[in-house]
Amino acid sequence: MRAFAQNALSAMTKNPSTEIPQGRLALIFSAPALLILAVTVLVPLAYAIYLSFHRYNLKRAKRPFAGFRNYEKILTDDKFWDSLATSFIFAVSAVAVITVVSFFLALLLDQDYPGRGLLRALLLIPWAIPDVVNALLWKWLLHPAFGVMNALFQMGGLIDDYVAWLSSMPSAIIWVIIAYSWKNIPLATLLILAGLQTIPKTLHEAAELEGASAWKRTLYITLPLLRPTLTVVLIFETIFALKVFDLIYVLTSGGPGKATTVLGWSIYINTFKKLDFGTGSALAMILGLITLFIAIVFYAFLDRGEKQ
Amino acid sequence: MKRNNLTRYILLYLASALFLIVFIGPFVWLVSSSLQLERQLVQVPTVWLPDPLSLASYKEIFYGAFFDESYVSADGYSSSYQARIYLGSFLNSGIIALSVSFFSVVFGAYAAYPIARLNFRGRYTLLFSILVVRLVPALALAIPIVLFAKKMGMNDNLVTLIFINMSFVLPYSIWLLQAYFKTIPTELEDAARMDGCNRFQVANKIIIPLSIPGLTTAGILAFLLSWGEFLFALLITETEQSFTSTVVAAMFATSLDVNYVTIIAAGVLAVIPPVLFALVFQKYIMSGLLSGAVKS
Repeated sequence: MRAFAQNALSAMTKNPSTEIPQGRLALIFSAPALLILAVTVLVPLAYAIYLSFHRYNLKRAKRPFAGFRNYEKILTDDKFWDSLATSFIFAVSAVAVITVVSFFLALLLDQDYPGRGLLRALLLIPWAIPDVVNALLWKWLLHPAFGVMNALFQMGGLIDDYVAWLSSMPSAIIWVIIAYSWKNIPLATLLILAGLQTIPKTLHEAAELEGASAWKRTLYITLPLLRPTLTVVLIFETIFALKVFDLIYVLTSGGPGKATTVLGWSIYINTFKKLDFGTGSALAMILGLITLFIAIVFYAFLDRGEKQ
Repeated sequence: MKRNNLTRYILLYLASALFLIVFIGPFVWLVSSSLQLERQLVQVPTVWLPDPLSLASYKEIFYGAFFDESYVSADGYSSSYQARIYLGSFLNSGIIALSVSFFSVVFGAYAAYPIARLNFRGRYTLLFSILVVRLVPALALAIPIVLFAKKMGMNDNLVTLIFINMSFVLPYSIWLLQAYFKTIPTELEDAARMDGCNRFQVANKIIIPLSIPGLTTAGILAFLLSWGEFLFALLITETEQSFTSTVVAAMFATSLDVNYVTIIAAGVLAVIPPVLFALVFQKYIMSGLLSGAVKS
C-alpha cells in the first residue's frame, strides 16, 4: 500500500527518471474501469458458475452441491434441445437476412447520388429505437384484428381473412426474425458501408475499362475484399442473435406453445419464474460456452482468411 | 451514355424508395396511428390517414403525469397505472443514461489512454479481455446480480442500474477511445513530456482536450445503449421510483386492459428521445460506429 502511494506520488512529480513503470501506471489509469468490470462481470460470473453446480431453488431452504447434475438434467431434457434448435433457427435466419440485406443496402448507399446522405441519416431511426419499443411497434403492425400488415396483405390478395400472426406457426417465428432483422440491419449496413469505402475506387475503374460488368465487379472485387468486414459482422450478429430476449418478452413470450422459446427466454423462465437458480445458471453457462465457441470458430476463419 | 445515366438514377431512386418504405414506413405508421382517434384505430377496413388529426391518444399519459391520479373519461373509463407513471419513468431513464455516459467516458478515457499510448506487457491482453467481457451473456450475470442486489438491499435502485449499465458500456467506450487517442500525433505528447509533464498531466492537458469529438461520440453511444436497456431494468426495478421507460413500455405492450391509442402513444413517446438524439448527433454516431469497424 505504501509502495503504491509512493509510486502515485512519484507519478505526480515532474522528473521523468523517477517515473513509475508503465505497466503499473497503466493499472493506476485503468483502475476505476477495471474495478467496475470486476464487480459487475467477474464476480457475478464466478458466482454464476458456482450456482450452476448447486441445487439452488428459492423455494427450498437447502442448497446442496450438485456436481454436474444440473447440466445432466438440462442435457437429457428434450425442452433444452427444442429451445437450442429454436435459438439456432432464429440466429441463422436472422443473421442470413441481416447480412444479405445489409450488403445490398450498403452497395446502394455507397453509390454517389443526391439524397443518399439523407438515407444514411434515416437509417439511424430503426437503430436508435430500443428493443422493447421495436417489439411494441411490430406488435401493433401485426395486430390480429387491426394490424396494418393484415390490411396490406389482404389488399395484395395474399390472405383472405385476417391472421393472428404471432399466435400461429410458422408465422410467429418468421415475424420475430423480421422484426429483429429490421432493427439490426442499419448497424450492419453502416459497418459494411465503412468496409466498402476502404476498397480503392481505382480497382473498379480498371475492371470497368477491361469490360467487367457491375455484377462481375461486385462478385470478384467487392466481395473478396469485403471478407474481413463481413466476418466481423457475422460474428457480432450471431453472438447478439443468440442472446435475443427483449423482443421475445414483448412479442410472443416464447409462444405459441414453445414455438419461439429461445435459450434466453428459457433461462429467464427457469430462473425468475420457476426460481430454479441452479438450472438457470447452468443454462446460462451453456449459452455462454456456445457463444464463446462460435466466436473462436469465426475468429479462426477470419485469421486464416487474412493469412491467405 | 446519357440514357444509361438516366436508367441508373431511376434504379437508384426505386431502390431508395423501397428502402424508405421498409425501414421508415413502420415508424411513420406508428406515429400516424397515434394521431388517430381510438374508434378509427380499431376500424376495419383500416383508416389510412388520421382525419381529424388528434392528440387525444396522448391525453391519458399526460393527464396521469400532471395530476398524478386517474383520468376518468365521460364513459367512466379510468386511466391505467402505467399511463400515470410513464412520464416519470422517462426521468429515471434520463438519469441513468446521463450518469452512465458521464462516468463511462471519464473512466473509459483513463483506461483507454495507457492502451493507446503506453508500452507495457499485457497491453493487448488487457484490451482483449475487456472486449471478451462483452461475450458473457447478460442473462448469466443477471442471476447473481439480482441475488446480490436483493441481499444488499440495492434492488429497486437507480444507482444499481447505473453500475450494471457501465459494465455493458465501458468496453465499447474503451475500444472507441483508444482508437481515437491513437490518431493524436505523438509529437504533441513528446513535447509536453520534454517540458516536464508527467503522464497524468499529458492525459489531462493534451490527450483529453484534443479528443472532445471522440469523447462526445463515446458519450452519445453510451446514452443510447443505456437508454434502451431492458433486461436488468426489468429484474432490478420494483416500483415507480426506479421503473425505466423501457420497463413501462413493456408493461404497455403486454397489457390487455389499456386503450390501443394509449399503447401507441406510449410507443411514440418512447421512440422520440433516442431517435431525436440519434438524428441530432448523427455525425458523431456515424464516426463512432465506423471507427470501431475499420480498426477491428
